[in-house]
Formats: sequence, structure tokens, C-alpha cells
Amino acid sequence: MKLTDLKDKNSQEVQNLLNIKNRANIVEKFISLGLPDKKSESYRYFDIEKLLSPSYQTLEYVPKTIHPADTIEIVDGVVTSAPEGMRIYYEACEVIDKEHFDPLYYLGHLLSPITIKIEVDGDAQLEIVHRYTQSNTLIAYRIVLYNQANRHATLYESFITEDIENTLVLYGYDMHIAQDSTLRVVKMQSMQDHRYSMIASHKVNVGKNAHAILKSFDIGGDQALQLLKVELDTHAYIDAGHLLYLNAASKRGIISQIVHRGEHSQSKQEAKTILDGHARGIFDALITVKPTARYTKASQNSKAILLHKNAYMIAKPQLEIDIDELEASHGATTGQLDEKQLFYLQSRGISYSEARKILVLAFANTLIDTIKDSRHQERIKSDFEKVFLKAEDTL
Amino acid sequence: MSMMKIENLQATIGDKQILKGLNLELEAGKVHAIMGPNGAGKSTLSKALVGHYDVKITGGKILYKGKVINDMDAQERALEGIFLSFQHPVEIPGVNNAYFLRTALNAKRKHEGKEALNAADFLRLMKSHLEMLGMKSDMISRSLNEGFSGGEKKRNEILQMLILEPDVIILDEIDSGLDIDALRAVSEGINKMKDGKRTFLVITHYSRILDYIKPDYIHVLKEGRIIKTAGAELVAKLEADGYDAIEEA
Repeated sequence: MKLTDLKDKNSQEVQNLLNIKNRANIVEKFISLGLPDKKSESYRYFDIEKLLSPSYQTLEYVPKTIHPADTIEIVDGVVTSAPEGMRIYYEACEVIDKEHFDPLYYLGHLLSPITIKIEVDGDAQLEIVHRYTQSNTLIAYRIVLYNQANRHATLYESFITEDIENTLVLYGYDMHIAQDSTLRVVKMQSMQDHRYSMIASHKVNVGKNAHAILKSFDIGGDQALQLLKVELDTHAYIDAGHLLYLNAASKRGIISQIVHRGEHSQSKQEAKTILDGHARGIFDALITVKPTARYTKASQNSKAILLHKNAYMIAKPQLEIDIDELEASHGATTGQLDEKQLFYLQSRGISYSEARKILVLAFANTLIDTIKDSRHQERIKSDFEKVFLKAEDTL
Repeated sequence: MSMMKIENLQATIGDKQILKGLNLELEAGKVHAIMGPNGAGKSTLSKALVGHYDVKITGGKILYKGKVINDMDAQERALEGIFLSFQHPVEIPGVNNAYFLRTALNAKRKHEGKEALNAADFLRLMKSHLEMLGMKSDMISRSLNEGFSGGEKKRNEILQMLILEPDVIILDEIDSGLDIDALRAVSEGINKMKDGKRTFLVITHYSRILDYIKPDYIHVLKEGRIIKTAGAELVAKLEADGYDAIEEA
């Protein structure tokens, strides 16, 4: 399958090409936004055409027996194992956002008419491991996730590949965070060049008085984009943190839209990016405050460190506000390692290269330390240090 | 015996000539105090001695233990035993204080051909000094200088000095921002380091710190040069008459 074949096609042609029926509304949404290219707002810094133009193999998504295990494992888009008693179903997605900004959100739904539905019980701690085993393949799947009201669940997400190359993964969540609940999602994704690229297009609904804590740790190479749309109900809260460490010629980033719909809703978004080599980092984030969202508090901040003269950061924090009764702030800084801090460490006998490592790890740690579970915190630190120190050693 | 000798030192910060032919000899085992008005070049001198990137040496030389160190970088100078207690220590969020200090100590031990200190032994060492300086034990795990009060920052500088055991200790305005208790604790830490071999260079505006750290020599720095050197008795004259009354010898 070649995704560029979908370009400038009408509804019937898209349905024929994707071999789908009865999904005219989603097809129309996809067509109205158009298959992204280098002129598309959300993808203009990302080189999306390179990912859409190859001819990929496609997969048959046939549900398999789910074996009991400690973690939920999803292999090439199919659940293969999960903790016993876990409620996992294959179903059509009941609630699809009608106003998502990302065309690939709709394409993802068209390619995945049957989604993996996970109902999180109580105060669970879940781990989802995504495994990719196929080269030159388009792996498309979506997950619909519900938690329970008044409960506080945590989801850890990680990604593993076998020795594959040139695969494109289109996946994403439709998350429904129930009233008065908390859902923490911690995503750790370490990528190596040329194995796979990823477009992850999410929609998160945060219910009344609910808290969403979304932390993503994206390190290494290759091309990946996370597109996130969040809607906040009354007194809903989101704390979104993104750490990006990129090296070589990778292009990765986050495009987000946080929509405050309810009164007294709060959002806090923080991106920390470290770029080496020819890497390009993207933080293109919009916070929208609707007229119904009086007394909103919103803040967003991006800090980026460039370790190499050829590294490049695109930081676009934006606020779109329709009311006066709110507190909002945003900011972005991009620079090199702090000269004063480097000197301070050197003045105590620490070498320049060691001081540089200490400062980069410290910059990352300020976000990693927000992970409550010490085992996962250590795992993220260790994965980050492994990739960073390996890249440093090759300098 | 001379620990450090500064001959005709000229230095600039940006385009501005700050040090204009400064001569100074620091003896081993002695406490030297440098006093002078604002803008005299006191902090520039301390920066020049530790190889700060702001300062460009345009003439003269700095001899340390008989070796010219003009071109030596900051890390090497530190490993060779030169320590600056900063006037305004920088905050480094995310760097654990103990981790930083152990890394620094082990870099020095490696330089001296000694084995690295393991975490447990280091922690014992750090705790013993913390107690002496009246510092809280959470200083071990806090980020380096982040959110520290002025007094905590200065105590942390002294903690580093005690652990790294340098040979030349430059104290740049160590008393600024300290209350009486903190000043006493910091001075106690400094006095503890006196062993008849180490050299101290106390840079200060005011004589208050010199009530706690007794100097052997007072040097008056004015307009980028040392204009007078005398014994501790000079402090009283400076207090009484001010810097304007001092004329170049």
C-alpha cells in the first residue's frame, strides 16, 4: 500500500482504496483535512512525504488468544498477552473526535475500523509493551482506553522492535478519563535509525474533576511525531511533560492542542528537548480556551538545548483565548548548555566532557524525576543515559 | 615559601582593562586578605587565578608552585589544587549535590593516582562535614545550590572546600549575605583547613570576616593594582580612614 495514493481523492475513491464501507463521515473529515504534505501546518517541519510515499506491506489484524502475563503486549497491532482478568475487547470505536486537527487521526481510524478497547479496573498499574516485528510494513492500530470514576490508575508504555527496517507505525489512543479519576500515562520510546517511524495521533477527554498526567520520554533517532488533542471538562486538569533527546539526523516532536472547555480547568505543559547532531526537534503546542472555560489556568513552556551547531529546534507555544477571566502563560527558550554551570563544574576539577554529560543528564532528570514509581524512573534514566552516553562516546 | 606569584598581571573583561600590572606573592601557610573599593578588580583577580572564561590575560604571568599557569584551563587548575569559593555560586537543577561532589573528589583522587572513593565512604565523609558546618542532611540529596538561601550556598562552597582539600583557597566575598551564625560556621570551616601549608586569599570589602579569619597580610587593591601591602594592623586604618587615604607605596 502506498499512502500517497490517497492524495486528492474523493470520498468514493478513498473508500475503494482502503476497502471500507459505511464510514463516510470519517472519510469526509480525512478528505477535508487532506493527506498531509510539506505544506500542511502540523507536518511542515517533519518531512512527512518521505514516510507516506514508500509502498508498504499491510497486515491482517486477526485477534489472537491472549495469554496471561504481567504486561499487555501488542505485537504488530494485535494483543498477544495481558494480565488475567484484564478487560480487553476488539470493537469499533464508539466516540471519534469530530474536530481533531490531524488528518492522520482520521486515517488511523479508517485503517483500524476495529480498535483494541481496554477498560482499566480500579487503581491498576498497567504496562503496555508495543512490539514490532515486520519490515517494510504499515502497522496501523488504535487503542480505546477507559478508566473508572474515582480511581487512580497508571499506565506505562514502552516500545520494542526486532531487527526490522523501514516500517511505518500509525497508532494512537482515544482515552476517556472518567470523572473524579486520575490517569497517569508514562511513555518511554527509544528509537534507532531506519527501524521504524511513527505517527502517534491521540485524543484525550478529561472528565469533570479528573486528572490526566501524561509524560513522554522520546529518545534516540529516526522520525516520529506525537499529535495530541486534549479536551478538559470542568475542574479537569492535565499535566503534560515531554522529554525529547534526539541525535544523528532524527526528526521527532510533539504537536498538541489542549482545549479548555470547562470552567476552572487547568493545564500545564512542559517540553524539554536536547538536540545533537543534525537532529530536528518540534514542539508546536496550542492551548485554546473556549468561552465556556472561565477561570482557566494554563501554562506551557519549552526549553531546548542544542548540543551541536547543526541541531535545530522548532518551538511554537501558542495561546488562543476567548475570555478575560483566566491565568495563562507561555514561553520558549532555545540555547546551548549554560556557560556558568559548565564553568562551575570545571572549577571543581570535572572535565569539560564530563561536565557536559552531567548538565545534559540533569536537564533530563528534572522531568524524569517527576515519575513517581522509582523502578520506572530508574529504567527511564538508564535508557536515556545509555543512548546519550553512546552518542557522546562516538563524538 | 611562595605558593603563588603574580607578576605584572594585566587582564581584560570584554574590552575593558581591569588588571593593570598587578604584582602579588602568596606565601604557603599564610592568610592573605585583599581589600579594595568597588570596581578595583578584586573579583577579576579571583577569576583570573582560576581560569574563568570571562577574563583574558593580556600580559604578565601567574606562577603556581613555580609553574606558569596562564594557559592552564579551569579543570587542570582545580586538579592542581586551586579552589575558588564563588561570590554567587550558580544553581544547577537536576544535579544531585552529593553526586556532583563525589564526581569532583574522585576526579581529584584520580589525578593524584589514588583510588576512587565509594559511595558509602563518601557519604560518611560528607555527613561529618555537614554536621560541622551546621548544614541539614537533606543537602546531600538536593540539587546543587538550587533554591539554597545565600547562607546555604556559602556553606556549600565551604563544604566543597573541606572535601576537596585544595592547596590555594580563594574566598571571594565569602561573608556577603551571611548572618552571624552562618559567618561563624563558615569561618570555623575555613579555620579548620589551616594547616600551615595551605594558602588563603580572602577577598572582601569589609573587615568583618577578618575578625573570624585572622590575616597575616593585607593587600589593598585599587584600579587594577596592589597599592599597599602590610600586616593585619592595616585593617584598622582602612576602617578609620577608608581606601582613599591609602597611597601607593
